[in-house]
Amino acid sequence: MNVAKLLEKRRVDWTELERLCEAMELRGSTDSVSPQHRGASGVARFSSLYRAACADLALADAYQLPPNTVTYLHRLVARAHNQLYRTHTPAPGGWIRILFQEAPQRIFNDGCVRVATLVFFGLFALSMVMGASEAQFPGFAERICGTKMLEGTAESFKEPLAVRPEEYTARAAFYIRHNTGIGLQCFAYGILLIPCLVTLAYNAIVLGATFGYMSRDGIEGADHFFEFVTAHGPFELTAIALSAGAGLRLGMGLFYTRGMSRVDSVRQSGRDAVPVMAASATMFVLAAFTEGFLSPSGAPYLIKVAWSIFSSGMITLYFVVLGFPRNESERGSLVRTARYADLVDSRVPADEGDRDAT
Amino acid sequence: MASGGDNRGTAVDHFRFSIICMAAVQPLDTTIAVVTPENIAFEYQLAGPFRRLPAYLIDLAVRWGVIVAVGLAILIIGGMLSALSTFYGPLTFAFIVILIFVINWFYGTIGEAYFNGRTVGKWFCGIRVIEVDGRPVSPRSALLRNLLRIADLAPVAAINTWDPDVPPIYFIPTGIIGLVTMMMTERMQRLGDLAAGTMVVVDERKWQLPIAKVDDARVPALASYVPGDYLVTRKMARTLATYVERRHFLTPPRRREVARNLSDPLIERFEFRQDIDPDLLLYALYYKTFLADSMTEPADLGPLAGYSPLAKDADKPSGLAEPLQSEIPDELGKPAQRQPVQRRQTTQRGDVWSHSSSSAAANPPPPAPAPAAPTSDPPRTAGDGQ
Repeated sequence: MNVAKLLEKRRVDWTELERLCEAMELRGSTDSVSPQHRGASGVARFSSLYRAACADLALADAYQLPPNTVTYLHRLVARAHNQLYRTHTPAPGGWIRILFQEAPQRIFNDGCVRVATLVFFGLFALSMVMGASEAQFPGFAERICGTKMLEGTAESFKEPLAVRPEEYTARAAFYIRHNTGIGLQCFAYGILLIPCLVTLAYNAIVLGATFGYMSRDGIEGADHFFEFVTAHGPFELTAIALSAGAGLRLGMGLFYTRGMSRVDSVRQSGRDAVPVMAASATMFVLAAFTEGFLSPSGAPYLIKVAWSIFSSGMITLYFVVLGFPRNESERGSLVRTARYADLVDSRVPADEGDRDAT
Repeated sequence: MASGGDNRGTAVDHFRFSIICMAAVQPLDTTIAVVTPENIAFEYQLAGPFRRLPAYLIDLAVRWGVIVAVGLAILIIGGMLSALSTFYGPLTFAFIVILIFVINWFYGTIGEAYFNGRTVGKWFCGIRVIEVDGRPVSPRSALLRNLLRIADLAPVAAINTWDPDVPPIYFIPTGIIGLVTMMMTERMQRLGDLAAGTMVVVDERKWQLPIAKVDDARVPALASYVPGDYLVTRKMARTLATYVERRHFLTPPRRREVARNLSDPLIERFEFRQDIDPDLLLYALYYKTFLADSMTEPADLGPLAGYSPLAKDADKPSGLAEPLQSEIPDELGKPAQRQPVQRRQTTQRGDVWSHSSSSAAANPPPPAPAPAAPTSDPPRTAGDGQ
């Protein structure tokens, strides 16, 4: 009953646990507290003190501890809990698994990716046709992109492609930052649906109009332009569509809940979208390296075409062969997690049964 | 056996309690319970926008600080190397650009994944990211919530909203979407938190075990007069503890005003004098509930031994010892130690308990009221039976 004496007795342990927590937070181990806390014995001591604090918290109500002591205990237990159950550092093999196992499976089955692909390539083709046929749609490309920009593009491809090799890395870095940034932004805005679709459509129409303009007769530098875009086109265009698809998956989870609660639905679709986005970002980086090293180089056109065909083939294989639905991948998947509430729910009947028996 | 059964009962109750808590956050509160594998439900305080905004601003500064520092280092190294070959100039540029990209997009992810849910800004502001079920944040969740930050910072505003001459470049994040989402979700999650299944909680570094110390000698004395048959209920105990924790932040008149609500019925119940300081009475009850050694141990009344707060003693001209001993013999041992009460003092005795006798309850009262006291300080007798 006497709280003061009880607190005095337990306080020694709590203070020790606090000191251990502090050492864990700063250095990640309990070694520095005292020689007795070095190595395994420190870990054992930490966990036994933690369990004792948990027990004190559980009995706080029975002891009639004052509220501020209970608050203190809550914080102490929370702090120790955070040190005991730490974030797992990402396993190096995990990303390979996400990229080559989860991502193609998701992409193959994801309706949002299909929609994004259709929207992107549909608008791209439409805008290219409209931009190319000057007779039917006069001034379409100029209105979309601006005359200045189109002429600037044509101007920059007048000369044959021969960038000095020193500049390859700088160009690749710029494309990584710029294009992957756009992809990530498109993905993030996907949770709001509209901005993602706007970004996707804007990119499709501007790219299509530029392509259409360059394919008109009599544009100087058109050959060099198409030589430039051949090599990295497959990776880059697919990557844009994929990032938008992943973003749309997020947004659809928010608005179309498939019978789950909205929070659960968003969480589920967030989990589903990460591998697709990871695949998209990887493709952006591959495209940037191609665009930086191969596209502007003076390499023969044949090599660029060969690389283009090769990369398209790889993408197809990736989507179809790795992505074809398989049953065993469900079990081996990294994303198999259960909410704690589910585990608790499943244990309650067992507890009740026990209780009835005693 | 019986005690084992009881423990089991509490454990199961805790289970129930925690399940309820996980399903719904307590209303009108920003705490959330987390169930640990040790079968304990402990509470976190959720971090709202006013704690998270400073953390974000600090992170922003740290982000660009890192970029500038590392970028300068790369520039210096690249400058030295470019003396050897022109190849290194563009390479330096490439490294800096990639550095900007990686830091800007993945600073938060790296921080949260490798430092247990904390970035530098979160560490400064004492907050931490955890999963909604209380587990540490996983790298995948950290990645998702940090990628989606840009959607939470939307819509972006343009400078030409304020200055029409500037071309419309939209780059000032307003954060309205994140703010609104945080307001509307029970765990104060922004969109990125919702998608990743994470929440941000307060995780202070510095706190101390608060121990309320009673430094007023009148408190144990008054506590000894509380009838032994009065049982402090659990709810009452909690109320008393909350009151004593809070009373340091209140002025003495405010304390009396707050305490009067509880003390008036208690004074009637204990048959105490009406002019007892309500604050003192609640403090004494707190002392009796939480700090007093034991019911059977006698209280050391010291110089206050002659005084009684009981209403029926207010009019008695002399001698408190007999009625007190017959009233509560257990609590008042050592009658021999009591000083014989002098006549002049008895006229004064009731005032010790009332709030006007000492300006602040923290000060110990005078050992015995000085004979000259009534003349030097007339208000002290106010309300007394003189």
